[in-house]
Amino acid sequence: MDDLLTDFIAETREMLEASEGEIVAWEADPADRARLDTIFRFVHTVKGNCGFFDFPRLAGLSHAAEDALADCRAGRREPDSTLVSAVLAIIDRIALMVDAIETGEEYTEGGDDALIAALEPGAAPADNALGHGPASAMFEKFEDTQGTDDAEADSPTAKKPDNAIAAQRSIRLPVDLLDRVMSGVSDMVLARNDLAHRLRQAGTQPTIDGPFERLTTILADVRDAITRMRMQRIETLFSALPRLVRDLSADLGKQVMIDLEGGDVELDREMIETIRDPITHIIRNAIDHGMETPSDRLADGKREIGLMSIAARQSGNTISIVVSDDGRGIDTDRVADKAVSTGLIQPSQRDQMSREDILQLIFEPGFSTADEVSSVSGRGVGLDVVRQNLERVGGTIKVTSKLGVGTLFTLQIPLTLSIIAGLTVEVSKQRFTIPQSYVEEIVFSSSKSLDFTRVGETALVTFRGTRVPCLLLGEVLGLPAEDISEDEYRIVLLRLASGDLFALAVDGLHAHGDVVVKPLAPAIMKSGLYAGSTLLDDGQPVLLLDVTEVAERYGLVSDARNRMLKTYEGDVADVAEKNDLAMLFTDFAGRRSAIRLELVQRIETTPVSAIDLSAPTPRVVIDGAILPLVGLPGGPIPTEKVRLLRLTDGSCELLHAVRDLDDAVELVDKLKPASDDPLVEAVTLVDGQPVALIDGHELFARYGEVPEAASKPVCRLPDNDWARTILGPLVASAGYTIAKGADTVEDVAIWFDEEYEAAVASDMQFDIPVIRLRNVPHALDSSDTVYRYDREGLVDALRQARSAGGKN
Amino acid sequence: MQDLLVMSQIAGRRCALHAHDVNSVIEIGTITPVPRAPDFISGITAMRSQALTVIDCRCALGFDPDRWSLDHRAIVVNVQGHSYALRVDSIEDITTGSSEPDQILGGFGPEWSRIATGMIETRDGPALLLNLAMLIEGSETFDAAA
Repeated sequence: MDDLLTDFIAETREMLEASEGEIVAWEADPADRARLDTIFRFVHTVKGNCGFFDFPRLAGLSHAAEDALADCRAGRREPDSTLVSAVLAIIDRIALMVDAIETGEEYTEGGDDALIAALEPGAAPADNALGHGPASAMFEKFEDTQGTDDAEADSPTAKKPDNAIAAQRSIRLPVDLLDRVMSGVSDMVLARNDLAHRLRQAGTQPTIDGPFERLTTILADVRDAITRMRMQRIETLFSALPRLVRDLSADLGKQVMIDLEGGDVELDREMIETIRDPITHIIRNAIDHGMETPSDRLADGKREIGLMSIAARQSGNTISIVVSDDGRGIDTDRVADKAVSTGLIQPSQRDQMSREDILQLIFEPGFSTADEVSSVSGRGVGLDVVRQNLERVGGTIKVTSKLGVGTLFTLQIPLTLSIIAGLTVEVSKQRFTIPQSYVEEIVFSSSKSLDFTRVGETALVTFRGTRVPCLLLGEVLGLPAEDISEDEYRIVLLRLASGDLFALAVDGLHAHGDVVVKPLAPAIMKSGLYAGSTLLDDGQPVLLLDVTEVAERYGLVSDARNRMLKTYEGDVADVAEKNDLAMLFTDFAGRRSAIRLELVQRIETTPVSAIDLSAPTPRVVIDGAILPLVGLPGGPIPTEKVRLLRLTDGSCELLHAVRDLDDAVELVDKLKPASDDPLVEAVTLVDGQPVALIDGHELFARYGEVPEAASKPVCRLPDNDWARTILGPLVASAGYTIAKGADTVEDVAIWFDEEYEAAVASDMQFDIPVIRLRNVPHALDSSDTVYRYDREGLVDALRQARSAGGKN
Repeated sequence: MQDLLVMSQIAGRRCALHAHDVNSVIEIGTITPVPRAPDFISGITAMRSQALTVIDCRCALGFDPDRWSLDHRAIVVNVQGHSYALRVDSIEDITTGSSEPDQILGGFGPEWSRIATGMIETRDGPALLLNLAMLIEGSETFDAAA
């Protein structure tokens, strides 16, 4: 209630100041109707305001004055100097009482009745020392005479208390002037930056650096103060709310108390105007739909009077305003029913949605649960407009609610309209800024997770399992395409306020930081692509992209139904993503790297001598398979044995040489896409150390090979020296293991034709392919045999046998 | 009429601007082009902490700018709260006007009539007094193209 009281005092004092001139003028000419009206309005307002508070004396005084003045206005009484004096005495006393209220003192008892009596038509003027004179002087005199009756000693306290009004001095200034000062300070900051740049070039100069540092500090202070000039306490917004709540609850037959907190939080003036309507709307809704009638509340075991509380908090660059009530809460079942019936969501989606998500549906366009349209909440303008208005200035709104307990709206709004966090990107050698609040993630387009593809003319990327449309910024802006391949794009994923996600491909990324947004000329705004301009550190202007407009132009803003669908897929993918594991190692360049654990098949150790360095890509034979090897140092290998990570993507395999192997770790920290090395997907932190995450996709795309027979088929040879010494090497080089011993299960067998025929004749069953060798170059009959020195024929037969054997 | 006028050549013709409309004359630094903006907008440039919209007056009139030389300086004007840098063939001098702006029979030609307040006599002979608000809107053909 303190806020209200402060308002009351401020308002009363303001009116007093404003009407001071009127009072003097009225004194000069009591018949002046216009003055009379002004003073009547003043006492009337004071009387009305006193009704809110427990100030019976103030109310009594103002009421008496009002009555007398009303008589004059109605023509029942002629204002004369006696009346004027009496009214002025009352106004003076009101001023003193207000001062006393502000300082928390009790105003001197008594004296009021005499003042009121003086208003009576018959009151004798001169007798009571109510002489014609300046109002205040008269009052002093009056006080003296009255003081003797009531309380002799307290006439000093009746005077204006000394310790009163430590209130801040303030002046009014046109906003234009403020803006000029602000831009002047911005210029100073730029000049300082320029100077700093030159000083750095000139080297250290202690005589200059000291004062320069001081200048910098002072400038920062001034800038801060200037920024605060545009700020206004949120109180100015809050002050109107008690009345609103009172009127609304009275209209609706409900009893609601309002509790305001954090009125001293400061906000950009324009921002306060922007959030006024949304807050009012939420309060209307809460009282109309949320609050129960007193009888219902009692039946539910609640206090008869409902409580609405509004609290503002500043945290960093945003202000959060929480509007809560202890009403009946939002029935999620009803919300969901309604959403299904209006086609906002599908029944199947409903089952997958959490309570929280269902609640957020109330912000969707075309949603309203009120079964009956009341005069208060109306129809048509709903919470969707509230959300829209907030999002226009970069704010957000969320709701939580518990059935029967209450509802809580949380609004997050940026501190100012003119300073935003921005990410500077480059395309076709030109830089542009994107508001950081839209940026969801930055990815390198070659990384495996992104999968940059084109469907028709539309480019798509895959982000967390969802296909996301991708705009090429260069194409959007009609800039000449740079000589850059598609997998060299940096992809900035942007989340629109509507929840839609889209990707923007740019050539490069620059720094991000707070930027001061300046308006653009109308002719440029007409292009619909830009929201403003800003200056970079070097004083170069850059254009701020209007992300929402761009997305809308390309039809990337979906309707509500699709939106819900997409969020769900996104969420599922999020869950699956959570436990990414990676193998940590140090490569021969000494760089700490990691590779996703799914790719790692096993860890091998091989002597350096086993590495074949003759080909462009080194190769190693591991378990009879020849595998490409990457990650070797450029020069000689410093160790005798090399540890190798054997990587596989399911079909291809390759080896990555490592100097030291660490452990498998969970990738908990954020992955920061890397841009300098195509083989690095991202950089992340593991135990506070930077680690380069190897891009598995790129690695396999470049080096992956299907291993030559990772598990070799077995071939059984005829049991003689010729077969062992002459045929054996040939079969082995074709990729077969020679069966040894009788118990080895072979995949293919080679028989001499005569032995084979003898075996067939003795009813032997062959359940494996058999290659029959003949001793003569030319087949005598059409039988399926191979000449035993026909190398090509043999290899061919073996290949056929293998493919036949591969089927089982 | 003793108004000070800033004289310049635009598309080969002498033009005048009221000196009180002109904030300053600056050396043009780097211009950041604005993709997808009308052709007569060369881009934006920085003047201290302010961003100026750079307008090529010849383009704004509907002429081909390559036919004339280009001054390395620009005239800074403020129209409806926005600052513009006007690029012209050359910036000449400041002079006093010796007459009220006047219309002549038959007009100044379609390109010029749109942006001209009228003809004004100066010490150095007659010049066309420009209407800034019309100038920065650019010619309609370019608007349509944009």
